Amino acid sequence: MPRHIIFLWAAALCAQDTEVRNPHTTAADVAQGAKTFRSHCSPCHGLNGEGGRGPNLSNGVFYHGSTDADLLRNISDGIAGSEMPGLFYSPDRVWQVVAYLRSLNAGSKPASKESIDAGARLFQSKGCAGCHRVNGEGGRSGPDLSEIGKTRSNEHLRQAMLEPDLDVRQRYWLVSATDAAGGSIIGHLMNEDTWSVQYIDSKGGLHSVSKAGLRGYKVEKRSTMPSYRGRVSDAELGQLIAYLSSLRPTGGSR
Amino acid sequence: MKTLTLLLLAASLDAQVTYNRLLNTAREPQNWLMYSGRYSGWRHSDLNQITRENAGKLKVKWVYQMPTTHLVETTPLVADGVMYFTEPPSNVVAVDVETGKQYWRYRRATPQKVNVCCGQVNRGVALLDDRVFVGTVDAHIVSLDAKTGAVLWDVEVADYTKGYSVTVAPLIVKDMVIVGIAGGEYGIRGFLDAYDAKTGKRRWRLWTIPGPGEKGNETWSGDSWKTGGGSTWVTGSFDPDQNLIIWGVGNPSPDWNGDKRLGDNLFSDSAIGVDADTGKMKWYFQHVPHDVHDWDSVQVPVLVDDEWQGQRRKLVYWAHRNSFYYVLDRESGKFLLGKPFAKQTWASGLDENGRPIRLPNIDPSPEGTYVWPGVQGSTNWYSPSYSPRTRYFYLSAWENRSVYRKGEQEYTPGNRFIGSVPMIDLPDEPGHGAIRALNPKTGERVWEYRLHTKPWAGVLSTAGDVVFGGSDEGYFFALDAHTGKELWRQNTGGMIRANPISFESKGKQVVAIAAGSSIFTYELGQ
Repeated sequence: MPRHIIFLWAAALCAQDTEVRNPHTTAADVAQGAKTFRSHCSPCHGLNGEGGRGPNLSNGVFYHGSTDADLLRNISDGIAGSEMPGLFYSPDRVWQVVAYLRSLNAGSKPASKESIDAGARLFQSKGCAGCHRVNGEGGRSGPDLSEIGKTRSNEHLRQAMLEPDLDVRQRYWLVSATDAAGGSIIGHLMNEDTWSVQYIDSKGGLHSVSKAGLRGYKVEKRSTMPSYRGRVSDAELGQLIAYLSSLRPTGGSR
Repeated sequence: MKTLTLLLLAASLDAQVTYNRLLNTAREPQNWLMYSGRYSGWRHSDLNQITRENAGKLKVKWVYQMPTTHLVETTPLVADGVMYFTEPPSNVVAVDVETGKQYWRYRRATPQKVNVCCGQVNRGVALLDDRVFVGTVDAHIVSLDAKTGAVLWDVEVADYTKGYSVTVAPLIVKDMVIVGIAGGEYGIRGFLDAYDAKTGKRRWRLWTIPGPGEKGNETWSGDSWKTGGGSTWVTGSFDPDQNLIIWGVGNPSPDWNGDKRLGDNLFSDSAIGVDADTGKMKWYFQHVPHDVHDWDSVQVPVLVDDEWQGQRRKLVYWAHRNSFYYVLDRESGKFLLGKPFAKQTWASGLDENGRPIRLPNIDPSPEGTYVWPGVQGSTNWYSPSYSPRTRYFYLSAWENRSVYRKGEQEYTPGNRFIGSVPMIDLPDEPGHGAIRALNPKTGERVWEYRLHTKPWAGVLSTAGDVVFGGSDEGYFFALDAHTGKELWRQNTGGMIRANPISFESKGKQVVAIAAGSSIFTYELGQ
């Protein structure tokens, strides 16, 4: 994969970055930018910029600079030291992508401290912490959420709580089987090869077993998390999202 | 007189890897003198101490660890008690085959910024007389003293700042070093070169992308031939009877957008037959006209003389990145047979000349187009094998698909020129791999040894009727050449992205392969 391409025009723009404004911001530009984003950026940043392998881009927080010039440079050249490659397009086409990114959080306002704090309390009282860890506290059955605000959009977080089965990372696929002694094997997939599987059980026990002696071996792409639809009110859901979205890496950009 | 006799005796004892020995590698299976073991590209060892019955007793003999963080794709060579291999980016190491202890190490200082698409790799050295030859990521070819590693000559093949690099193991033909070029993701104009082994002077260059007035130039619209790609980054084979080098040519550039290079784009994605003395192309066969999927013809050509429909013929067996297995006539390049060996969704078949009959809607698109096989193909650069005992063709095969995306791109020298950012691996569809045996006369599958992951390692067959292969999971394994049944395996602890070889040390058969950043050797335990 390409890592970075240095375009002279981008370098020239960086030199005067405070003055640079995106010249392509019409609705047509946003629409074209969305198409480019879908084909080139969505594999890592999600179909709607909600994040995944790469950061969430839908809340206006960018870890390598948030000015128009920063975005133009990072999209054109890629980001050294990260997995972000450059995009092989003319500046006009890149500006359209910037216009699309700006459209993702148009009209949204930052969550209040009250809302975030309320979400933090709900995270404990609704049982989330039983399976999810935040900054070293909590269970290990689900993903560690200490930095979830960086990589997931509000919409993705909402969906994950209401319909947990829709998007399950391979690391959380469910392994089940019966071993030769008749014992039940169940846990989350950590690694798998032709002959063996490594998984973590619900108590945090790590296991590595040979596939050869197993009966009914299955790896299922489904979540063990229940849907929170009906278990929390709309207002509570908003508070939980506000809290989760506030969980970001500390100590500078990562 | 006595002095003269002693001198002659000393010369014969001071073993030289002569061209005559290279022509007759079958007479000395204790050595492994060239990339594919012999000129016919078989990667087959005539050693038979390790058998289907005893392969389960294989044990580590020694391990050599390289101080490198680059991927190791080297095929070691063995000559008269010394093993020679490359250490990425472009170093060479000589060790004792019995102990793995180092004699010498040539360390090449490479520039900080080199343009190599897929890692600063090297696939091995070539040997002739008392010289070792290595290509470098900054696109030089270097000759070293086989006894000390001292540099004898160092010649620039091409300008590395323009995206050219050498990752291929060179091939010795007569007194020449045949060298291919890499850079198909940088808009290079590809070629195949021959250098005088003694002086480093270039004897000939065959451009794989023809210039104006040359045959095939008309298959490139406008000036697109100038940046047409057509790299030659995997070692070819040689037919001494015809004095013919058979070599594979890589993808056209840019890889995933063909709009500005309309036409068949000869001789990208082709097998070419090249006169060894003149460097003139005798024949070609293009596997993928106007490729927009990056399906290089960079597989080792397997040369076999056999009956074909009642006639004795010189054949080429070729399992291609595009999922089809081909049989070609080696005298004319004529297409004889083609059949898929893995799932593919891009062609309804091949016509009577071997030209693919493309299905609609398979080209890359802005939205993304799903096609089997994936970008890395159903097989790739890692070597196949042919056993004259089972008369099967063995290969590592992949079953997967990619999303092919189309973008736009202008050429700028030394920068990527690929026209897209494809999605090579789909997160929810990891695909799988296998070692397969084919009947080379029909392309029919004889057996398969299924792997959970997709292997980047070549295969070796031996006269003990054992097939060796490796996986990205780190396993090195031995299979029954007749049935594919597993006989032995070991976890080496690192991805295997190299080809196995076999040789003898102190009368015992040894099998070696690079795994992770180490060379592992195995022999039978008690």
